Amino acid sequence: MSEGAALLEVAGVHVAFGGVQALDGVSFQVGPGEAVGLVGPNGAGKTTLFNVVTGQLRPDAGTVRFEGRPLGGVPSHRRARLGIARTFQRVEVFPELSPLEHVVVARRASRGEGSLWADLLGRGRLSPEEHRSALDLLRAVGLSSLAEVPVAALTLGQQRLVELARALALEPRLLLADEPSSGLDAAERASVARLLRRLVEARGTALLLVEHDLALVRQVVDRVLVLDSGALVAEGPFDQVVTDPRVRQAYLGRAAS
Amino acid sequence: MNALVSATVPGVTYGCEFGLMAVGLVLTYRATGVFNLAFGAQAFASAFVFDLLSRYEQVPEWAAFVVAVVLLAPAVGLALDRFLYRHVPARAAMARTVIAIAVLLAIPELIPLLFGTATRSRIGSLGLPANQVYFHLAGTPVTGSEITTVGVTVLAAVLLTGLLRGTRFGLRMRAVVESRRLAELEGVDAAAVSAAAWGLSSFLAGLAGVLLLPQMGSLDPTDPLAFTALLVAGLTAAAVASLRSVPWALGAGVLLGVLETVLQTELPANSVWSQGLLEALPFVLLVGVLLVNPRLRTLERSQDPLAGVDPPPPPPSVSVRDARLAGPMRWGFRLLLVAFVVSSLTWVPGNWVFSLGQGLVLSVIFLSVVVVTGMGGQLSLCQATFAGIGAFAAGQLASHLGLSVLLGALVGAAIAAAVGTVVALVAARASGLLLTLVTLAFALFADSVLFQFSWSGGGYSGVTVPRPVLGPVSFVSDRAFLLLALVVLVVVMGLVVLVQRGTTGRVLAALRGSPVGAASVGVWEARAKVTVFALSAAVAGLGGALFGSIQGPISSSDFQYTVSLAFVVVVLTTGVQTVEGAVQAGMAYAVIGQALTYLPSRFSGVEFLLFAAGALTYAAHPEGIVEYQRTRWLQRANAVLAAWDTWRAGRGPGGEQGTDRARALPSAIGGEAG
Ligand SMILES: Nc1ncnc2c1ncn2[C@@H]1O[C@H](COP(=O)(O)OP(=O)(O)OP(=O)(O)O)[C@@H](O)[C@H]1O
Ligand SMILES: [Mg+2]
Repeated sequence: MSEGAALLEVAGVHVAFGGVQALDGVSFQVGPGEAVGLVGPNGAGKTTLFNVVTGQLRPDAGTVRFEGRPLGGVPSHRRARLGIARTFQRVEVFPELSPLEHVVVARRASRGEGSLWADLLGRGRLSPEEHRSALDLLRAVGLSSLAEVPVAALTLGQQRLVELARALALEPRLLLADEPSSGLDAAERASVARLLRRLVEARGTALLLVEHDLALVRQVVDRVLVLDSGALVAEGPFDQVVTDPRVRQAYLGRAAS
Repeated sequence: MNALVSATVPGVTYGCEFGLMAVGLVLTYRATGVFNLAFGAQAFASAFVFDLLSRYEQVPEWAAFVVAVVLLAPAVGLALDRFLYRHVPARAAMARTVIAIAVLLAIPELIPLLFGTATRSRIGSLGLPANQVYFHLAGTPVTGSEITTVGVTVLAAVLLTGLLRGTRFGLRMRAVVESRRLAELEGVDAAAVSAAAWGLSSFLAGLAGVLLLPQMGSLDPTDPLAFTALLVAGLTAAAVASLRSVPWALGAGVLLGVLETVLQTELPANSVWSQGLLEALPFVLLVGVLLVNPRLRTLERSQDPLAGVDPPPPPPSVSVRDARLAGPMRWGFRLLLVAFVVSSLTWVPGNWVFSLGQGLVLSVIFLSVVVVTGMGGQLSLCQATFAGIGAFAAGQLASHLGLSVLLGALVGAAIAAAVGTVVALVAARASGLLLTLVTLAFALFADSVLFQFSWSGGGYSGVTVPRPVLGPVSFVSDRAFLLLALVVLVVVMGLVVLVQRGTTGRVLAALRGSPVGAASVGVWEARAKVTVFALSAAVAGLGGALFGSIQGPISSSDFQYTVSLAFVVVVLTTGVQTVEGAVQAGMAYAVIGQALTYLPSRFSGVEFLLFAAGALTYAAHPEGIVEYQRTRWLQRANAVLAAWDTWRAGRGPGGEQGTDRARALPSAIGGEAG
């Protein structure tokens, strides 16, 4: 293995839903601290790929390795604890909980903390420092003023930010972000882009970003993968890839935004 | 060979009845999205009325059939749809199951209210004369009732399959279940389709009931176990059919009937082991099918693409509360507690002290429902079984080892927790309706097998759990026991609140909101589920031991599956999200029960009818009646406070106006948010 340094290594992944070949032999790698864009038209298989990496979906064939370790048979929650965090295209927030509680649950669950006994002894409450550090994280995504509001009462855009904060609470090695900017206004988009870039540069977190807003992708990532009908059709620096004829082909009929 | 045939003929007849039950469950589920546990009770109602008319009122058989099956049965279905199910919000899948359970409990209470409690021993039948032998099959006589049952069942199944598969109505029915809103957008009158489906499936229930008549030795309207064998086999057959296919349901039912009769005749009758196996087999089979059939796991996964259009559930009442109300409410609660203790120690009459003590004990058991359903988000139908385990353990330990009752109660709670853990582990991959059915199977298993041994339920004479004595302090008198129960209740409430506000409670809230999202941050769902079942079983076991202690001798019938069903209905209709809900449910249950003793005995069933009436409110407000009322009350209080703020702001000196307005604003917003 010459590329022993790869953080995430996806090799020959196939997924079929009935007759639809959602992923058709996808292979690629993401290095530590690398920001990679994953683009492609609707139905290309981007979300399916995320589901395979996070263990929500078992691939029909192929392997996923994280830090060199094969993940086959490792359940979702274990992968999260290993350092793979994600956000969802269709938000998956916890409506009854506040943004603050999202962060706290993520912190505690990812460390396997919080037994029933601890709760029964009264040790399950929020400590002041836990509260403070959760607030810091929420401030970073711009939600500190809404920290204690049940998430059900927030807008879709704010819920996306909650998911982002929740994912960051894991202090992940790899973040999979599935269209984090859809439903956000221009100002919010800009701040999400800045946040993601800072995450990669300051924290050294690797990022796999699915996004239809190509301007945002260009701003954030080092490299782009183009997926079409379940297969990778191009790979390389952003400016080089967008001029690739195969990519134009994949996006034919779609106004590049 | 002949022995096999002679077992098969009645087996097929039995099997047809199992099949009809299964077909009924499948049909209602497919057509209305309701897992109608009340199907058997509806069948019973029609059978009862048919029998009443044809045998006692001398009405011709065909006329009795028309009244009981063609008119009454669909009318019941239409009424259920019109008054209950239609009002349930689309998101509240659990509420539909609970309402079906409420109906299941209400119907057997309603019948004696309407027709008296006398058990009927002469039983009518439909079609060919029941006992006349028409021909022999390999030497085995085939009777009229057997021919009628098989014939009508096959006819019904063929017609239904044709209706579902081949007609526009069947197509619409499936569309409405898939997505009511989408179907409506396509111009389907969803309400009419649902009503028709209810009428049809209830007609089938009536038919099944009347066909079953010859098989029943007597018609005791208050015997809830009369249908257990039918229920278990029907559930199994419906599970084999993945709750989807009518022909499979019927086929599986017939097969089960044959299997059961063949085993009955083939296994040695004198061996304890084979008899035990025979008793346990239906339950093992049911759980096995529930857990092995992969198609059941995707049962509730098909998501309505327009689900987002539905209004979200109302916020919990505490979040609506103006901060200024918190203090007075806390003090009000403390005052109430003191008044309660002082009153029950002084002027309250003895029979009421006993009832209030019972209410406190029930509240402890009901807290277990708050844990498993309110926090865990799973509907468990075996909470009375866990309570029974605690009670029998405490009683047996006291009588055999002389162990102190309080210690025995803790041991009982621990044993219940262990059993709860096993149930949760067995059902690790199940959730939602599937898990509910596994718990029901366990409760039925405990009724028929587990609690029937002398070392567990104490057999015919039952088990006595003495009142505790702690050194010089005796809790033998009702008043002393009431205080003990109150202390236990407050402690358990405190513990449950600690869990609710701790990591476990938040993790469970996360899982209720989005299992996928929870897994993505490292939440181990299976472990959380086992934890919540163990805790809930422990609470139920502790409450059960106290229940035994206040009650005197107890037996397996005190913890029958119907008791679990009643618990679920009472707690969920009252309010399952908060610990207060459990206490309110427990006290209401006991107080109403005691108040009803002042009525003639004929009205003793009114208690369940009251809760069935509660179900009417519950249908529209699945968060629970108390929770709903409290939210409304708090909103009004908020409005008053806001008006008061505005008034003061308008009158106050100019300098303070600004700050007052600033304070009034958030509370006004809070009031509107609800
Ligand atoms: N659970 C499923 N069952 C059946 N088909 C599915 C399922 N999930 C995805 N598909 C199909 O697989 C293909 C890939 O879907 P996927 O959601 O991965 O695309 P995507 O690239 O994320 O698209 P989008 O940009 O619209 O989010 C699509 O054809 C989709 O219809
Ligand atoms: Mg997608």
